[in-house]
Amino acid sequence: MNPEEIQAIFFAECEESHAAAEQGLAACKAGTHDDDTVNAVFRGVHSIKGGAGAFGYIALQGFTHTFETLLSDVRDGTVPITEPLIDVMLRALDTLSDHVAAARGLAETPDDAALQAELTAAMAANAGAAPTASPAAAMVAAEIIPDDAEGISDFDLDAMLDAISDDMAPAAGGTGGAESAAPESTWVAKVRPHAGAMRNGSEPLLMLREIFDLGGRCVECDVGQIPPLDSIDPGTGYLAWSFAFPGDVSEASVRDVFDFVGEECSVAIGDDAPMPPVRPAEPRVAAAAAVPSASAEAHAPTGTPADVARAPVGAVPPAPPAPPAMGQSIRIELGKLDKLIDAVGELVIAQAMMAQRLTGDGLAVTEELAMLEGLTRDIQESAMAIRAQPIGSVFSRVPRILRELTTSTGKHVRLEVSGESTELDKTVIERLGEPLTHLIRNAVDHGIEPAAERLAAGKLAEGTLTLSAEHRSGRILIRIADDGRGIDRERVLAKAIEKGLVAPDAVLSKEEIDLLIFAPGFSTAAQITNVSGRGVGMDVVRQNVKDLGGRITIESEPGRGTMFTLTLPLTLAISDGMVVNVGDQTLVVPLANVVESLRPEPHEVQGLGATRAMINVRGRFIPVLPLHAAVGAAGAVERPEQGVLIVVETEGAGRAALLVDAIVDQRQVVIKSLDTHYRSVEGVAGATILGDGRVALIVDVDGLVAHSLSENGLLESAAVEHTPVAQAA
Amino acid sequence: MPTISLPPRCDRAAAEALLPEMIAALGSGPLAIDARACTQIGQVMLQVLVSARRTGEGAHIDASPTLRDTARRLGLEAELFDDTDTANVSGGRGARA
Repeated sequence: MNPEEIQAIFFAECEESHAAAEQGLAACKAGTHDDDTVNAVFRGVHSIKGGAGAFGYIALQGFTHTFETLLSDVRDGTVPITEPLIDVMLRALDTLSDHVAAARGLAETPDDAALQAELTAAMAANAGAAPTASPAAAMVAAEIIPDDAEGISDFDLDAMLDAISDDMAPAAGGTGGAESAAPESTWVAKVRPHAGAMRNGSEPLLMLREIFDLGGRCVECDVGQIPPLDSIDPGTGYLAWSFAFPGDVSEASVRDVFDFVGEECSVAIGDDAPMPPVRPAEPRVAAAAAVPSASAEAHAPTGTPADVARAPVGAVPPAPPAPPAMGQSIRIELGKLDKLIDAVGELVIAQAMMAQRLTGDGLAVTEELAMLEGLTRDIQESAMAIRAQPIGSVFSRVPRILRELTTSTGKHVRLEVSGESTELDKTVIERLGEPLTHLIRNAVDHGIEPAAERLAAGKLAEGTLTLSAEHRSGRILIRIADDGRGIDRERVLAKAIEKGLVAPDAVLSKEEIDLLIFAPGFSTAAQITNVSGRGVGMDVVRQNVKDLGGRITIESEPGRGTMFTLTLPLTLAISDGMVVNVGDQTLVVPLANVVESLRPEPHEVQGLGATRAMINVRGRFIPVLPLHAAVGAAGAVERPEQGVLIVVETEGAGRAALLVDAIVDQRQVVIKSLDTHYRSVEGVAGATILGDGRVALIVDVDGLVAHSLSENGLLESAAVEHTPVAQAA
Repeated sequence: MPTISLPPRCDRAAAEALLPEMIAALGSGPLAIDARACTQIGQVMLQVLVSARRTGEGAHIDASPTLRDTARRLGLEAELFDDTDTANVSGGRGARA
């Protein structure tokens, strides 16, 4: 394993630890915490600290140390959990995350001096009851400076021994080996690191350094378990030590040293406690998959119960039955997954091609074909499931955004989250963060009123933001709702008229006014803040969502709040489409846009001039767009009553009816990006390969309809025509 | 007597890399381990050294001051070295200071 890989694992674990700590603190804030909650926060911060130390991230380690010391006081109950304390700790967690970003080289090292002082004050405020590692605080930050920068799994006992040589001097005695029994005022801890403590760059001797920092000194080293050289397994911990500690060092502080590796280091307390037994290395799927070179660790699969630390010593004990495998997982490079998805896409195409060829040759092997089709779909779904991630990873960033907004706007907002385990494709998740952040900032800045205004309106002073996610018929719905003042439609309309976005005499429905906030350059904020109000947010949000193949809709009620609903596809790689023929071309219309299809009677279509036409669909006039004109297909049906009209819903231009010759099929299509293979083409969202091997273009319905309508001058008439209907509805 | 030299950084990777060589060498008699260059050492290498000392006809370790000091702090000096005379240790400490 090279240093970068080890580092990547550390950062992945940092994220997990951070999320766990964040969750714990959120529970504390909500008042639903117990002892274990604080412990979980402590463990999260502690493991980041441990890794930071091993990798030589001095600033990160120094900060986590201060934070951890306070958490240790909280855990021990010497510092009571209060609202202000939780706020300080939440801010500390944010800074911690900045420190991790700095360690990754993604950001500047944050200035944490003030916060460190606050954290320290929170400890000191407690009558100096902190019994643990505070004396070591300064040393921890200063000591571990690796000899060279690339030394990821580096450890420098020399520096450590220099630093502690004074403490050790009286005990050194020069005899080497086992020292005499500890004086009466001391107590003894017996320590045996296991395989996990020596893995991924962890080094037990570094932890022993902390033992020395605490004032411990080695009484005895147990070498009795070391086998002859030809049967030694480098992954197993054979050495064990007895350390004597001064009476004023607490047992908890010694155990804390090994918290980072958890059960991977057995600790037994007491002079007469037996030395913890050797635990052979067990294979670890995660390590083995990410690190082929770690295969030396893969050994007889023998697990050991957690409480083995207290088991009697002797010869190596017979291996107890292996515990059930819990949450086994592997880390896979994303590139490999993308290749798999690509291959599955090709498989779907190949399967369709074979089906078409067989049918064309009159070979109706339907049973086998159906089986193959079913299997292909299974593989495809499994492959997609591997890429799927719970949306919770996006939602988990929201508390921090809200905290920052509280600081900048002074508005307190309570967050309610549901459906965070809903899964969707990783690409979608990655690109969802930005629009979601915009919407949340917008909701707090514009939607939720200041506390005084809320109280006057009979609401709770604290605003509520609701985030939810759910699957619905092959798509995912994400809702962001606030209980604020709602959209002030009069003001929005006035502003839009002022900016020339709509004609002064235009009559718009409520929904259309709401949609105006997505117009580029639109902002009603009386004052531009650094939170929002520059009018660059909402149109970017809509563009982001559209790029994801999704849609955004608004429901707003004055005085009650606003809800944004994002409808997104589960994946960007495969989508449902309607395959249509237009003259000599085959095109795919994304099913997400399709409302209905119909074959019109002649009297339902009304001509508007020579080239334009509208169709009356249940009392609502919709412009008819001949698709062949847009794509330049030859020999297509020209008269609506001879072809098929597909009614589509668009983001910006309302509904339109696309005129095609015939609907061929409705099926899943594998989306191939035109941008990567050719270049971006207006009105075309991408391409796919059909069963007969031909390439079909996927229609970008939003772009195509908006473009065609504005060219035909139908956009305005479309709005005017259907507005009365919408209002009546 | 064959001699195996340890690198400056005696981490786990170094221990795993040198283990087969040590096993082979110890099969044919006593072994000399030249650890004079060693400036850093981890538990895995320490274990291997202890095991080498106890296997077959044993190994003689020529230690760097760092290794000598580390072994002493961790209670392994008598286990690893033939002579545990203090002059050697203080010489090592003097060199570092």
